[in-house]
Amino acid sequence: MSGLKNFKKGILRDGWTADIDDYVIVCEWASGGNSLLAGDVTGGISAFDSSSGDTLWKRERNHDGLLAIDVHPNGEVFASTGQDGRILIYNVLTGEKNKTIEVGPEWVEHIAWSPDGRWLAVAYSRKIIVFSSDGQKRWHSDNHPSTVSAISWSGADELAVACYGKVAIYDVATECIQEQLEWKGSLVSMVLSPDGDIVACGSQDNSVHFWRRSTAQDSMMSGYPGKPAHLAFDSSGTLLATGGSETVTVWSFLDLGPEGTRPGELELHNRPISSLAFAPKGMRLASGSKDGSIAIWLLQKDGDGELLGAASLDAPISRLAWRPDGRAIVAANAVGKLTSWRVKN
Amino acid sequence: MMDSKVPVTILTGFLGSGKTTLLNRILTEEHGKRIAVIENEFGEVGIDQGLVINADEEVFEMSNGCICCTVRGDLIRVLGNLMKRRDKFDYVLVETTGLADPGPVAQTFFMDDEIRDEFSLDGIVTLVDAAHINEQLERSNESVEQVAFADVLVLNKTDLVSTESLDKIESRLKDMNPMTKFLRAERAKIPVETVLGLSAFDLDQILERRPSFLEPEYPFEWTGVYRLKAGNYELSLDDGPDPNMSLVAVSNQNEQEEALREGAEWCVRRYAEPPQEVFPGDTIPIGQHADLQLQSEGHKKFFLKIKETQDIGLFTQHTAEEFNIKLFKNDDESKVRISPLTERTWVAQHEHDDEVRSFAIECDGDVDIQKINDWLGELLAERGIDIFRLKGFISIANDPRRFVFQGVHMLIDSQPEREWGDLPRRNQLVFIGRNLDETSIREGFNKCLV
Repeated sequence: MSGLKNFKKGILRDGWTADIDDYVIVCEWASGGNSLLAGDVTGGISAFDSSSGDTLWKRERNHDGLLAIDVHPNGEVFASTGQDGRILIYNVLTGEKNKTIEVGPEWVEHIAWSPDGRWLAVAYSRKIIVFSSDGQKRWHSDNHPSTVSAISWSGADELAVACYGKVAIYDVATECIQEQLEWKGSLVSMVLSPDGDIVACGSQDNSVHFWRRSTAQDSMMSGYPGKPAHLAFDSSGTLLATGGSETVTVWSFLDLGPEGTRPGELELHNRPISSLAFAPKGMRLASGSKDGSIAIWLLQKDGDGELLGAASLDAPISRLAWRPDGRAIVAANAVGKLTSWRVKN
Repeated sequence: MMDSKVPVTILTGFLGSGKTTLLNRILTEEHGKRIAVIENEFGEVGIDQGLVINADEEVFEMSNGCICCTVRGDLIRVLGNLMKRRDKFDYVLVETTGLADPGPVAQTFFMDDEIRDEFSLDGIVTLVDAAHINEQLERSNESVEQVAFADVLVLNKTDLVSTESLDKIESRLKDMNPMTKFLRAERAKIPVETVLGLSAFDLDQILERRPSFLEPEYPFEWTGVYRLKAGNYELSLDDGPDPNMSLVAVSNQNEQEEALREGAEWCVRRYAEPPQEVFPGDTIPIGQHADLQLQSEGHKKFFLKIKETQDIGLFTQHTAEEFNIKLFKNDDESKVRISPLTERTWVAQHEHDDEVRSFAIECDGDVDIQKINDWLGELLAERGIDIFRLKGFISIANDPRRFVFQGVHMLIDSQPEREWGDLPRRNQLVFIGRNLDETSIREGFNKCLV
């Protein structure tokens, strides 16, 4: 973690810091950016005021092993899941629990509200279970070939599910599989372009595989030293940023790319990338690394980019979260620390 | 960096071999370790306590189709989550299902970048049901692989099997995997420290433990242990099948089986040394490789001089019967025949023709780093599927350090270790695998020598 102290903060302006108890598993903005939710591995969840960093509320041990949090699109409700096989739904303002759903003995690893908030999908071991917004169970899928590794909504009723060997796309309203994108390999991460057309997955065999659903074209980008567990699409669906090493590799879907093109390579971190997040609008990308450094980059449409600012913390970065207005960013780390910066235009 | 990694022990063995009993024993015993257990067996007795996580065995093959790259997806997922709460535990035990091929489990700790950063494979412990292992080895590849991969083999349920059968089983298993440490147990009762924190890949330990794995057949067929007072003794031999015979006389040889085995190991090394020719009428040196010259016809006498009372072990190339070997105490007037306290014949060990075998390359000299890299790379690419384990060290020309290897299938990890110092520079590589072509592998290695 040495050697990074000299990085120029650039557009980053120091904001507040806060501590929670352990490794920060999730941090997400809620209430339209007025508060920040953060959960640690032991199951504690806290809410912080966006401008002061003051603790708004704190609830300990919600789960025996917290795994995921997702905020409802209305910003007022959020849900968490854990290794205890439960889903909890809370009020963002007060932190009070509205509902507890006991799913079963296995881990509930992923959770996602649908874009209009009508559905709540969770990955429960090899299955997907979908609830209505009030927590009533509506549907569950058959078992997938392996434990589900990622889920993402690609439309109002359309859910993409990644696992070993494929991405399955379900129509939740009709409870049918719409499409299967197959690839012999273990898909460990997934991100969709905002229009839902491009499905990109990181694979255990150190490659990134992607499919264009409209043209049924698919490609593989290999040569990563590690597995690309972190992926991010920019809001226009042009750039796909990928981890898998200490370099951020950015593929551009401009024109006929990224096939046959050279990716942008953003070098600053000394250890593998552990978090990637595009700003809600525009071409700014935040990257965090296991070496504790974070960087803000301004990307061009071809994937190359320039460094706008960087900072260094004392433990691996576990999560980066841009405030919805793109004017602030919070980094969460492996020792339970939250650090916020204001970001200049 | 290395020291901060969490050690992992893999526990394999067929259903009914006693894995859960051993796990419970480990979890309930006082050993000062906070252990997380990843359990895979269904339908067996539950684990009593501790941080126990049930994971559904998910074997992930890679798109390249290489079985050596196959990993256990569930372990990556579960360990990935566990390492975030690593202050809560300092040791991980992974139990596999009875039918599991241990390859993907072990490979996970080499192949996955994140797991490799946080965890180190401490050892593979395989439990064997002594009453059923013979049939299991005939029937199932997984069982063979579990034996071949093991750093420690626990021969369990010894109360259900005769000592003689146990010896046979052990000899068969040793043939398949000579690097392993053998333990015998009833109801999986073994000290925890014999299976945890082994640093099983520490080669010195392995070599100290079983120096004879290079020579699985003993070069002698018979041992007699005699209790001898100080004085002069006469060893007499009649005509036999050969014109000469090797012999090592071991002082202070205990008559118990374990001590006999230890003595045998020690003798293997003496037998490897150039012999001293001893003619009839000469005195046999103690503790040295003697070559008795038996060319003359009829009765031949050799002498033994014993300075103080002790038990002496005679390890002879042929059995006592073949040469009618007898020992007498020579007093001034009388000659008294001495009977051995115990006798043991060393049977040929290749009773079973298992496909899974092992052999070791051992030689002095230095190797060329480029050549050995090329050769190993090619060998593992072509034959990696059949090579289960590879361990050893080599002496690289112009490098003061010893290079240590260990591999699982085609994945290999080599690291410079401590400097040779005064120790003789040598190479030792042990291969365990299926249908290995020993001759061509030896030839390949020899070409790498400088």
